[in-house]
Amino acid sequence: MSQVALITGGGGGIGGAAAHRMAAAGITVVVADYDHGAAERVREEIATAGGKAEALSVDVTQAREVKALVTDVGKRFGCIDVLANIAGGSFYTKRIEEFTWAEWQEVIDVNLKGTFLMCREVAPLMQRQKSGRIINTASNYGVTGSALRTPYSAAKAGIIAFTKTLAQELAPDGILVNTVAPGPTDTPRVMGKESPEARKQRWAEIPLGRTGKPEDLAEAFYFLTTPESAWITGQTLHVNGGLL
Amino acid sequence: MKLQGKVALVTGGAQGIGRAIALGFGREGAKVVVADLQVDKAKSVVQELQALGAEGWAVEVNVAAESSVKRLANETLGRFGRADILVNDAGVYLKSLVVNMSEETWDRTININLGGNFLCSRAVIPAMRKQKSGRIISIASGIAHYGAKEFAPYAASKAAIIGFVKALAREVGSDGITVNAICPGAANTAMPRTHRSEEELMARLRSNPLGHVLEPEDFVGPVLFLASDAASYITGQAINVNCGSYMM
Repeated sequence: MSQVALITGGGGGIGGAAAHRMAAAGITVVVADYDHGAAERVREEIATAGGKAEALSVDVTQAREVKALVTDVGKRFGCIDVLANIAGGSFYTKRIEEFTWAEWQEVIDVNLKGTFLMCREVAPLMQRQKSGRIINTASNYGVTGSALRTPYSAAKAGIIAFTKTLAQELAPDGILVNTVAPGPTDTPRVMGKESPEARKQRWAEIPLGRTGKPEDLAEAFYFLTTPESAWITGQTLHVNGGLL
Repeated sequence: MKLQGKVALVTGGAQGIGRAIALGFGREGAKVVVADLQVDKAKSVVQELQALGAEGWAVEVNVAAESSVKRLANETLGRFGRADILVNDAGVYLKSLVVNMSEETWDRTININLGGNFLCSRAVIPAMRKQKSGRIISIASGIAHYGAKEFAPYAASKAAIIGFVKALAREVGSDGITVNAICPGAANTAMPRTHRSEEELMARLRSNPLGHVLEPEDFVGPVLFLASDAASYITGQAINVNCGSYMM
């Protein structure tokens, strides 16, 4: 029986690449995204490549939607072996005095609260299975901070501490909880905003001399689902070309 | 196979975690240079590699002696023409309270554990630079972060390895060489047995959130990952493989 992975943000750059990587390894992938069209595109690509995938919609900030999603996946497949919480984003770059409360909440909710809601819903299933892998997504900014991204940096730092706590809570049930922390990554969302000059300057700051590709991140997410990482829990795996 | 045709040097490869890594590399198709002060034990690891159908070669090395390390690098390059992976695992674990510690105990630990990382890395980097690729993986320790009573030089050497790894990663990144560390949690090897009773050791080894006793083989997966193409964008990191005994 094939393993089942639920990936939020599965329609995006890193989430889509992670979905492809896991599907290529024979894992059945549930591509969940706020943007159903994006999830559907990834599902189709995976199916064309010979993998197994489903596309579902979810707004991870809405507890009711999260519950419905997990119930649906549980009914369809009977288990969830891997949860990758990749939905997130920084959305704004502005000084703290310009951030409205609503904007602050939006960024905290999609990154941190969404991760909490998904984990809360999936953990009981994994506890019954006595196994499971949860992989959350932080950012190098969760460690270094990033000027003009106060809520994003706070949310990502929050995810790192949340991951460590959940890892301790779920270890007795054989469930591993880790974080992947991407550095600058060539996702359509980032590349759309950045000038070629800005990109070049960024490259010069990175020891490996290039920004990350979604596929680089996908390998790290996949590694944390494999038997090779069976004794790693509560850790943050930085994939950033040596930036940090 | 993840490492088909690659040439890997494993210092401290004659026993414990180093031996497990050497065999793991062999299973993935690498040609493995088992480098150790205890060459007879290294030779028996080579026999195990051959039994797996892998190519292995035992070389005697003192990682704290410049000439010995130079010879290791020259002979490896002479024989295989390249060096793709270096695992710095050779080390010693000497017990003493700081107030009672001889300068000899301090120097020996730092020279072998930390100096060995420097000498071995320096020796293979020119070949890796020419190849425009390479993987250096140092075996640090959870003790780097946690400390350990009566093992101050060991803790200092392992924390220093992490600093060294981060600095070296910045120096050689532009040549396509990655440098990372693994921080094993306390494991069921010969090393801690020199200082603890069997009962005390097993209780200690089991006291982690996953309740699993780490064996040398448990570190092979993460090392293979770092050595493989899958980890080509990961450098300067210290990855904790410790069953959640501490989290960073």
